[in-house]
Amino acid sequence: MTGNELETMTIANCSPRIMKREVSPVEVTRLFLERIDRINPTLNAYMTLTADQALADAKRAEDEIAHGRYRGPLHGIPVSIKDNLATRGVRTTAGSKILADWVPDFDATVVFKLREAGAIVLGKTNMHEWASGGTTINPFYGTTRNPWDLERITGGSSGGSAAAVAASMCLGSIGTDNMGSVRNPASMCGVVGLKPTYGRVSRFGDVPGTGGDSTDHIGIFTKTVEDCGLVLQAVAGHDLKDPLSADEPVPEYSASIGQSVRGLTVGIIRDYFDKLAKREVREAFARAVGVLESLGMKAEEVTIPHMDLVAATQNCTTWVERVSAHVRYLRSRPRDYSPGFLYRQIAILTIPAETYVTAQKVRRIICEEFDRALERVQVIVAPTTEIPAAKIEECNRGEVEVDGEKISLRGPRGNLGIQCTLPFNLTGLPALSVCCGFSSSGLPIGLQVVGGAFQENMVFRVAHAYETAARWHERAPRLS
Amino acid sequence: MEEVIKRLNAEYGFGLSADEIKLVATQAEEVRRMLQPLHEIDLAGIMPWTRVDRRVKP
Repeated sequence: MTGNELETMTIANCSPRIMKREVSPVEVTRLFLERIDRINPTLNAYMTLTADQALADAKRAEDEIAHGRYRGPLHGIPVSIKDNLATRGVRTTAGSKILADWVPDFDATVVFKLREAGAIVLGKTNMHEWASGGTTINPFYGTTRNPWDLERITGGSSGGSAAAVAASMCLGSIGTDNMGSVRNPASMCGVVGLKPTYGRVSRFGDVPGTGGDSTDHIGIFTKTVEDCGLVLQAVAGHDLKDPLSADEPVPEYSASIGQSVRGLTVGIIRDYFDKLAKREVREAFARAVGVLESLGMKAEEVTIPHMDLVAATQNCTTWVERVSAHVRYLRSRPRDYSPGFLYRQIAILTIPAETYVTAQKVRRIICEEFDRALERVQVIVAPTTEIPAAKIEECNRGEVEVDGEKISLRGPRGNLGIQCTLPFNLTGLPALSVCCGFSSSGLPIGLQVVGGAFQENMVFRVAHAYETAARWHERAPRLS
Repeated sequence: MEEVIKRLNAEYGFGLSADEIKLVATQAEEVRRMLQPLHEIDLAGIMPWTRVDRRVKP
């Protein structure tokens, strides 16, 4: 095996070779660590590497497999973890100065489950400060650069995870998604990003204050839809340590891969997403719907009457739930936040309790409307982000130029880049981003596939059918 | 809104300067405007979504 093979390697094509002992987990891990050494100084996707531990774990995996104790498709597979998920004995900063030296004495449940499945954790990935933005321009740990264009952002907040997968510095990564923090960077880096149903994956060990209690989700990055199902299989399930995790049976996700989508109906919410998405995204989305129709799916328009209140409801819910986790540090260490984050949290403290409760009433109406829509269609599709990845310099200025028009990153509904994803944090529905083409500048564009609650299998089925027909996943960024 | 921010500044001990208080007050006003539409629809008889359990239809 050579380092060149890493660019086309997936979990699905690597794990049978590990199982048959054609390649060793130690060899694979070493190749990934060498690639990280070479590429990470440019991309800044990883903020902490755990090379020694990874090699020790890979050796253990190799020994187990040699003795006939193969654990499954993740055994010996190198992965990375966003830095707001607790890792025993490894610094976990949440992208903040306040937690710069925090070394947990426990693993988040998702990390524990990955280790149980035999995955090899290579390190922790960079993120937006407290997971509270969509650029991964981090004042304390530096900016993560997009593998498709180094002058551009990766999106965020899990930008390091997306860049690490896109640049073949691991085969899968775990992030968190509170308003789109998995799907947004997945779209901007051209990889698959899944936010499962709320409660599907335990949030135990997700650093408090990096998302709303009722809107944040653990999510998955991989190169392909099939790989995403393999990782979800390992990390899904009820967890007594997370009272909000769901006691719902975990189906066999690989069963949905390769199933025909002929005769299924795909819903499109025209008004909301058409207004948000800019030209090249709209065009790529329209072509993607055409591909789904060519596969035998019927496209149907669906209406969510209170869609215009989604952003206000989601923002209010997330902001209030998140700030409550920061009160202690706001009192004791306010100047250890970046000024932008600090000012925002103080502004959020002015939201009356009555407004939060009102938002929860509106949330009920919106959830009911989505559930009704999903009784008529099997999935809803939408663009993942309004625009492809912006330039880092534009984000620092707070204004991006798209279609000859200057747009503020902070609009009247909230931040640009997350308006297409946040409806599914509010509703808790499973949503996956898969690459659906490239802009004229060569930047990836994402298609979001959304299913009913706990219908990840349907989401995988449609996304895999699209991916196989469109074959965008066969492209890789050129990194010297 | 500036008075509210001044009160929070004193209560929490943020140590905000006068310019910072103005800036945060502007942001707080933006937040208020952004959330205002929530108060403009009829919610009579609607129960808040207080438990997220997607196994149960609302």
